[in-house]
Amino acid sequence: MLQPSPPRAGQAPPPKDAARPTVGERLVRILYPSHSSATPLRWLALAMLALAVVFPLLGGPFYTRLAIESFLLGAVALSVDILLGYAGLLSLGQAAYFGLAAYVSALMYLHVTQSFWLVALTAVAVVAVFSLVLGAVAIRAKGVYFALITFGAAEILSKIAHNTRAIGGSDGLIGIPVPSIPLLPGVAIDLHNNVAFYYAVLCVLVLIYLGTRRILDTGFGAVLRAIRDNSDRVPYLGYNAFWYKLFAYIMAAQVAAFGGLIYPLLRGFVAPHLFGFEVSTKAVVMSLVGGVGTLLGPLAGSVIVTFLESLVGSYTERHLLVLGVIFIVFVLFLPDGLIGLARRLTAARGKAGP
Amino acid sequence: MEELLGYLHVVVLPQVVDALIIGVALALVALGLTMIFGLLDVINLAHGDLYMLGGYAAFTLLGWGAGYWSALVLVPILVGIVGWGLEELGIRPLLPRADRAIVTLLLTFGVSLILRDVAQVVWGTETYAVAAPFTGIASFADVFVPTYRIFVFGVGVAAIFATWWLLYRTRIGAVLRATAVDPPMVASFGIPIRWVYGFTFLYGCGLAGLAGVLLGPIYAVFPTMGHDFLVMAFAVVIVGGMGSVIGAVVAALLLAQVQGLASLWIPPVWAETLVYGVMLLVLVARPAGLFNRLGEA
Amino acid sequence: MLRTSTLLCSVAIVALASGLGLNAYAADPIKVGIVTPLSGSYAPIGKQVRWGAELAVKEINAAGGVNGRPFELLFEDEEANPPVAVRKSEKLLQQDKVDLLTGTVNSGSTLAVGQVAERNNRILVTTVSYAPSITGAQCNPNVFRVNANAFMQSNALTSWLTKNVSGKRYFFIGPDYEMGRSTVSAFQDDIKRLGGTDVGSAYPPLGAKDFTTYVGQIRAARPDVIMTATAGNDTVRLLTQLKEYGILSNKLTLAGAAGAVTQENIGAMGGAGEGFLSAAGYSIDIDTPANKKFVTAFKKEFQSDPDLFAADTYGLFYLFKQAIEKAGGTEEQKLRAAMEDASWETPQGTKKMRKGDHQAIVDMVVVKVNGSDFQTVGKVPGAEAVGPDKCEKF
Repeated sequence: MLQPSPPRAGQAPPPKDAARPTVGERLVRILYPSHSSATPLRWLALAMLALAVVFPLLGGPFYTRLAIESFLLGAVALSVDILLGYAGLLSLGQAAYFGLAAYVSALMYLHVTQSFWLVALTAVAVVAVFSLVLGAVAIRAKGVYFALITFGAAEILSKIAHNTRAIGGSDGLIGIPVPSIPLLPGVAIDLHNNVAFYYAVLCVLVLIYLGTRRILDTGFGAVLRAIRDNSDRVPYLGYNAFWYKLFAYIMAAQVAAFGGLIYPLLRGFVAPHLFGFEVSTKAVVMSLVGGVGTLLGPLAGSVIVTFLESLVGSYTERHLLVLGVIFIVFVLFLPDGLIGLARRLTAARGKAGP
Repeated sequence: MEELLGYLHVVVLPQVVDALIIGVALALVALGLTMIFGLLDVINLAHGDLYMLGGYAAFTLLGWGAGYWSALVLVPILVGIVGWGLEELGIRPLLPRADRAIVTLLLTFGVSLILRDVAQVVWGTETYAVAAPFTGIASFADVFVPTYRIFVFGVGVAAIFATWWLLYRTRIGAVLRATAVDPPMVASFGIPIRWVYGFTFLYGCGLAGLAGVLLGPIYAVFPTMGHDFLVMAFAVVIVGGMGSVIGAVVAALLLAQVQGLASLWIPPVWAETLVYGVMLLVLVARPAGLFNRLGEA
Repeated sequence: MLRTSTLLCSVAIVALASGLGLNAYAADPIKVGIVTPLSGSYAPIGKQVRWGAELAVKEINAAGGVNGRPFELLFEDEEANPPVAVRKSEKLLQQDKVDLLTGTVNSGSTLAVGQVAERNNRILVTTVSYAPSITGAQCNPNVFRVNANAFMQSNALTSWLTKNVSGKRYFFIGPDYEMGRSTVSAFQDDIKRLGGTDVGSAYPPLGAKDFTTYVGQIRAARPDVIMTATAGNDTVRLLTQLKEYGILSNKLTLAGAAGAVTQENIGAMGGAGEGFLSAAGYSIDIDTPANKKFVTAFKKEFQSDPDLFAADTYGLFYLFKQAIEKAGGTEEQKLRAAMEDASWETPQGTKKMRKGDHQAIVDMVVVKVNGSDFQTVGKVPGAEAVGPDKCEKF
């Protein structure tokens, strides 16, 4: 899905009059999606969901918690896909938002409050500000330079976290409590319960996925894809590419931040490694393996890569080698990722959809 | 006034001299990177690991009884061949794709992971020493510099000069520069582009290997040494202008000085972060870097 | 690959034992999880930890195990990366159901994994991490330490230095992160207390490749002793570059943390580390029968010399054996109680656990590098070196 994709069938034709769309027209495009997803993808999504729902009943505490972690990383991978698959922007620094949210979460819990919602709100706000500033600066740069700016920003944050003893320095911070999240008066999710934790995170992840898909399936997404395919032409259609890309970037940052917000609650600590290049690039690997531009792909990829690494790690220390080989194989031979592969296979069998 | 001069002499001058030498070494690594980007639009994330290979190759050759001087000649060739192999097998199939910049970046990242692990398997995890061919200290104006470092400086400058000569005074260089600008045009002259690309990788990676041999005695050899230089090299390439040879050299010298001098006045860990900051600044203000791309006026 | 070899080992021992008529292994094994860096820049340390554990387990199992139960080792690679360490230790605790955890090397990992252990009602023992906070400000009732911490090293080393080196001018170098800074500050405090003069300090970034920036500063300070808290590659580069620039001489004494110059990096220094002094809880030339036996067995098994990480890990298993036998099992509360009061035999002598902060009291030796060997030149008894109990959480 790194290649430009053919236009989807069933899409409404562009307006004959290519003059600047009115506010009303824009609103209509946003609220009413112009087409539906291809059927095979929906099948896959449902299958994955079914698997996910059943999993904790079979998995046991360690695998359930590993799955939760893979969901959190999956959020980061999803954020990569939003940018890469839809806006054509490769971000090598999504870990910046993962780490930022994680540190905000940790610091708030350790020093300020035990209220989950307050912490969440603060994290959202901090990440929003950061992504607005960094996005505005980075989006002006083209292609590869964007990747390098995002990489540089994440590295700087990582170094700041590493060098500042007040926020834990190189050892990070431990002692983050496992809270209860109040939903309604009298109803709370106790995160000590692994299964409850799992379902809560799964729920939110599904909501994020649906929300993202919904937003990207509208005209907004179509414009983004137009920008990805040929950004020089887009202004001629009456769109200012910059704001579209910026919005996508801020959105992606929030998605990655969700992962970071929850991570300290799962693992009880934060460390500068959370900003690191490994996290950012692993998110890219997950996206690639799953399938860029499918939104489902990064989630699937995250689960696959996380569990694979855990498995491989028990048998050999050569996990870097294995990861590298898998990665190269996908880059060279399976650029569409697994979801893309599945799509092609089911399409070849003559099912509906391109 | 006298105190200021004294300070400049005793503290700042040695720092400047050191940074000059480091800058030249950095330039060697950055040159290869920038040439590869300039000609092929490829960001070679495995470049640091090729530098590492250079160091290990030197260590192994010396272990087999070869002299330092033969290692100095052989290692760049060996690493260059590895680079050429990387280009043929990995990069070439991806070049026709529209998103080649991104995909080749990802590929070289995968290669980097593999190289690092392979190094650990083949050579183990300990640090190794590469013996310098000679020791001793020279001093001038009360500034002490080990003679080996002067040697490194000399070889580095010679290599940079040789590169300049290659690119601007030879026919091959003209072909390279032309290919950076307009590959189909060059191909239409009957020049096999694939050899041009292969040669670029060979030469660029060879430079990295040379840096590995030269710096082995100073910085020791171990599996993660590639990372040391890679990030700085990228900063250099970005600041200097991706694809610009002059830019790589100037920026390398400049950034080495910035980091070195900054460490005198702010904690050295923040000096590193400062260099990143400079890189970001350039990316934002003038993404093309200080100098223009290879081949452009 | 890691597990199958241990499994094969155990199977072989069982076969042998049954062949000899010993029915000792009908009982289920005591599983010890070792989460240690097996790749990356700390891999050499992880390797020594692993070897120490394997040797101890081999000996203990061959001699009948712990109340008839053999040890079983499970290794996981933590890559010196706390998020990975936490994930792997959870796997060991929840999936593989290990009874005990050890192996963490850097202090960030030890702190984070210690928390995991506590939440899973198991005990973590570190044999390498020497950040004082682990048994100080960040102490944890489920975390024990059997190796000497940075304060202990500093106490012992500085007291020896101030008595045996005539010059009083000290220069300090420490990598700019938690561990480096706290080690240097321990050195500084002790030196000042003992009457030395602090003529300067430098904090290069962790992983710095070029120390020439500090050469001018060092030269200007004219120190008699340079104390460094660098480790691994950083020490190699620091010392070779100091030598390059002619700073090292007969009149200058080199000293530093025990992890600065070890078996793993001495080869790469090309003589630059000659005469380097450090204080550690272990030295290969400790002249006790127990140590001689240990070193011989180690060399035979692994064709390599052991260092302090191997020795401390080896000794740990004898502590485990003693404590488990006393506690009658691996139940958390009983085991903790048994370990808190323990006094056990190791290659370096008797170690005693201090109940108040779970720090072992270790007799320190001052070691000097001589060629490619480490030679003991002085001793400081454990009680003197251990320093005050700063743990207030339990």
